[in-house]
Amino acid sequence: MRRIVLYEKFERFWHWAQALIILTMMLTGFEIRGLLPHIFGFQRAVTVHNILAVSLVTLIVFAIFWHVTTGEWRQYIPTRKFLGEMVGFYLTGIFKGAPHPVKKHRMAKLNPLQRLAYLGFKVMIIPVQVTTGALFYYYPNLQHAFGWSPSVLWVIAVVHVLGAFGLVAFLFGHVYLTTTGHTPTTNIKAMLVGWEDIPDDEYFDEAE
Amino acid sequence: MPHPLRIPSPPWMRRTLQTLVGLLALSLTSAFAQQPTAPALSGHGSYLGVHAKQASQQTADHSKFKILQGPFKDGDGSAVTRACLTCHTRAAEQVMATQHWLWRIPEKGLEGYGKSTNLVNNFCISTIGGNTASCARCHAGYGYKDKTFDFTRAENVDCLVCHDTTGDYEKENEGLPNPAVPLADVAQKVGRPSLRNCGVCHFFGGGADATKHGDLDDTILTAPRTEDVHMSKQGAGMYCVDCHVAPSHQVGGPDYVIPADRREQPKYAGEETSRMSCTACHSSMPHDSYILNRHYQKVACQTCHIPAFARGKLGSNLWWDWSTSGRLKDGKPYKEEDANGFEIYNSMHGEMTWGRNVTPTYVWYNGNMKFTRLTDTLPATRPVVLNPTEGSYGDPNAKIWPFKFHEGNQPYDPVLNHLIAPYTAGPAGSGAYWGDWKWEPAIKMGMATAGLPYSGKYDFVRTTMLWPITHMVAPKEDALKCTECHAKKGRLEAVPGFYLIGRDRGTGVDFIGIAVIILTILGVGIHGVIRYLHGRH
Repeated sequence: MRRIVLYEKFERFWHWAQALIILTMMLTGFEIRGLLPHIFGFQRAVTVHNILAVSLVTLIVFAIFWHVTTGEWRQYIPTRKFLGEMVGFYLTGIFKGAPHPVKKHRMAKLNPLQRLAYLGFKVMIIPVQVTTGALFYYYPNLQHAFGWSPSVLWVIAVVHVLGAFGLVAFLFGHVYLTTTGHTPTTNIKAMLVGWEDIPDDEYFDEAE
Repeated sequence: MPHPLRIPSPPWMRRTLQTLVGLLALSLTSAFAQQPTAPALSGHGSYLGVHAKQASQQTADHSKFKILQGPFKDGDGSAVTRACLTCHTRAAEQVMATQHWLWRIPEKGLEGYGKSTNLVNNFCISTIGGNTASCARCHAGYGYKDKTFDFTRAENVDCLVCHDTTGDYEKENEGLPNPAVPLADVAQKVGRPSLRNCGVCHFFGGGADATKHGDLDDTILTAPRTEDVHMSKQGAGMYCVDCHVAPSHQVGGPDYVIPADRREQPKYAGEETSRMSCTACHSSMPHDSYILNRHYQKVACQTCHIPAFARGKLGSNLWWDWSTSGRLKDGKPYKEEDANGFEIYNSMHGEMTWGRNVTPTYVWYNGNMKFTRLTDTLPATRPVVLNPTEGSYGDPNAKIWPFKFHEGNQPYDPVLNHLIAPYTAGPAGSGAYWGDWKWEPAIKMGMATAGLPYSGKYDFVRTTMLWPITHMVAPKEDALKCTECHAKKGRLEAVPGFYLIGRDRGTGVDFIGIAVIILTILGVGIHGVIRYLHGRH
């Protein structure tokens, strides 16, 4: 066994702050849509949703800065290496107790599927939600300035709502997959404390 | 050998990041600290003191003027007017240029608009079919009994109806003063118009208290603040002319084209002081919330701040069926009231319905309305909309406005396809409908008096009107809550042409979204169950 630091302090703060923000935005967003019973009340739900939207964008700006300056962004570069093995692992290997096909390393902590999923999350779902959210918020101004048709708002709303449903689906998949670590709580614990005790055979030792 | 997935890069600038994280936390906490403040109990102070000061600052005590000592002959209003004009030499000239005097709009394109011309509604229908003398009780003049009235005669102007402060002044047919009015006393106590001066006519539109407008009735004189924040003495204690500013007797008013707030522009030099739009006093950004302020682009202030009209003790007329009028009991007209005291039948008017605390009808409105005149050919659609509003979401001047929706059933000429001005107000034997209870002579005489063609055939046609609601503004704590509109089946359910959050929730989109979530849960659930059964991971 060896203890390696997987998640820096900022990374953990970023993860959990983002989780809290997105969860609350889900609650407020679906309340505004009328799909949830009144938890906040419409007016407060709108206020909270908008404040959190600004907070999330602020957090993302910091996160981008952190990823760029630390070089951590390289962890998300998609790769085909071991991609097939990973799919096979989740489809069959995991049931038979096969070893994890990808060894972890401080600077390669994400397996190829995680890389794809999180990259998609970061460059697809979140930007779509942020963009449609901003368009939604400023729609009256944009409509006034550019004479947009009212149906543009409908398109913006539909995309934003579909994105939100996508995020909820992502959340379920994401939380479930955290249980596929060494033990069901290993991954969540790592995201809380930052380090993970990894059996030697699951760690990629550069010295080898 | 390096890790196959590792792409190395030196980590740096971590300390800077820690500082930034601190800043982020600060921005989050301060954003949440913005809580709405508790509503203040009394708005912007009271006008009661302002009015007292205005009265005390008058430089003339009219009771000291010899010419106002009288005595004036009973009912001789013109004698008082002549006295007024000896000092206020240009006052009559100013009044004679206004709607209060002309009862018509001289401007181009608005021919036929005004009570003295071909305008028609679905309350009392029209003045010009022989009813002028009766209707002229609300004319700011003396002796208006028919179209021979001399609109250029200064002594015919009624100064007292607007300037009486005693409450003793009263007008009769042709607008003449009741002979019992102590004219000299009234003349010596003239002052600035108060609510009552305007209210004697404007509270009683449609023939009786509260009947026509829905947002104006004489309960306003004693209203609690909850009924009208502006005019209630518990509220701002304002008079009509505090907003409908009247320089040189030109009382600010809609003149059949009601300015939507954004259109509010002075119509002539000197009118800048007009406060006939909410924003003139409250600005266009009166809320703490940016989102609430931004509603003003598409929603009139009145829409949220007048949750219901007829909020006093009186009901406003919602339905007036002339076709059922004229039923008699033992040859005599009669009235019926329902349990609420609302007059549901009157031989003079027919069946009626009334409403208190009525939710307005909401319509896109840019300030323009096209009124129907007696000379206009009716459209084929039924009911006939007598004053269609202009406006849509895409119209930059249009906002969602609250209206009183009024329905009627009134006589029309099915051959010429015109509405009809019947002769209603007259004694037995005159041919008037309320005298002899027969439509045919009443219509024939009415149309002849009005100088309009009539085929000899009449029938009844369903008509609707929209009356803008702008008075009876409620205290801010009673303003509409978001979900009154942002909900399925909300107040704006029928307002077309735009996407409204909370209202326009496509079930197809929700179905797809919920299906995706359920499939995901099923997928991971099955995966988890298989893992569990294999007893590992």
